[in-house]
Amino acid sequence: MKASYCSLLFSRILFPIHFPVICLAVVFLTGCSTSTIIDEYKITDTHLDLDQGEQVVIMGRRHAGEYETEPDFINCIGGRLANGGQLKVMPEQEFLDSFYPWFEPRVAPLKLKRMSHMLKDPIIAERIKSLGVRYMVWVDGNTETTDKSGTFSCAVGPGGGGCFGFASWDKASIYEAIVWDLKQLDEKGRVKVETKGSSYMLAVGAPIPFIAQVQSDACEGIGNRLKGFFLERPAESATPTSAPKPDSERKLDHRGMIKS
Amino acid sequence: MPLLLTACSTNVTVSGDYPTALTKPLPYHVGLVLNNSFTQYTFESDKEQNVTMALGQSQSKLFDRVFTDIFANKSSLQTVSKQASANSNPIDLIVVPNVEEVQLAMPFETRLNVFEVWIKYNVQVFNGDGEPIADWLMSAYGKTQTRFLKSEEAALDQATTSALRDAGVRLIIGFKHIPEIRHWIELQEKEQQKTKVMAKSGDPS
Repeated sequence: MKASYCSLLFSRILFPIHFPVICLAVVFLTGCSTSTIIDEYKITDTHLDLDQGEQVVIMGRRHAGEYETEPDFINCIGGRLANGGQLKVMPEQEFLDSFYPWFEPRVAPLKLKRMSHMLKDPIIAERIKSLGVRYMVWVDGNTETTDKSGTFSCAVGPGGGGCFGFASWDKASIYEAIVWDLKQLDEKGRVKVETKGSSYMLAVGAPIPFIAQVQSDACEGIGNRLKGFFLERPAESATPTSAPKPDSERKLDHRGMIKS
Repeated sequence: MPLLLTACSTNVTVSGDYPTALTKPLPYHVGLVLNNSFTQYTFESDKEQNVTMALGQSQSKLFDRVFTDIFANKSSLQTVSKQASANSNPIDLIVVPNVEEVQLAMPFETRLNVFEVWIKYNVQVFNGDGEPIADWLMSAYGKTQTRFLKSEEAALDQATTSALRDAGVRLIIGFKHIPEIRHWIELQEKEQQKTKVMAKSGDPS
């Protein structure tokens, strides 16, 4: 919306010097916004058990051809979940190397049934036990640019260089995390996050970016909710959860909207 | 002019490391023949952009690692030949991998923000007498997302390492399921059973 307003200004204003000033005012007045919607489903209200020496691993899905869940995003969630050492989170790459080749994209289990089958192999089961991997969190999704508009160009001459123009782009992050309990071989819950945001680049001599932190907001949203599965949730973000429901009746129990 | 040509070419030496395989080794002695065309393999593409990718060293490291892990014993051999019968630990299988084809897809070709690599191998398998058992055509795929400020070289290295990891998956999980190898393993098991029965019954033949 803001982008199209600025593009309109760009095409109609006869005196280009006014354009950046007005655009800058619009951007500063409204800011680079992101909106995040989080859906969460927990099978139980109580925190998930994690005994001494047990740990959680967060894994990205990479089996689809058209996208892959970014390793940086997985590391970001891991960092949030670790919460300064309160939870032990095994780094994804370390887990992949320890269990090579069983969790590589070609053969990684997509469903719990296949995971249970894999755990019948004593070599895999023994490694899971020795490393104390109790919960596996699979994260599927990605961040992509959904729309782009505007242009800006840069030029360099003997007397110096500079850029002029305005560009904007929208990004959307959609991720779903599923928590598997490897001891009881069942699913403990899901968190789905959708974050959208618009970024702007204004160039009047030097380019001035206004970047919406779409992926990091998605990481914060999903990381905080997952933390709530294992640890006491901070009072300001605590939301009630529903009573356990069978799989056939699975409904998302609450919807929170965070604006930043 | 040479400066311009150099500016449009990409040179990569694949530098991946491969983890130890979590698998139960097959109770046989394998001989691995990595010939020069394999250990020094370099892919060259002169489509719209010149790309030179040296993956021989990295793929040799992978095959060496995988065959060390999936068999109880592994030896490196120079050629396929009949093994001396007097050897106390005779070689049961000889494996000779060859690169059949490498394909790249770069963002300027696909208009996707992804680098992709396909590698097709022909894994030739011989018995200890040097007689052919199987020719296994195996393909592997790897890709990477382009990252902000990441060079093309780093992206291609990552995509190729990912393809080689995938080749490792196919070798570790798929090798014993090649029909000819499965058949060979079944024959070996029957042979061992027969030897055990004869040893119990005291039959020297």
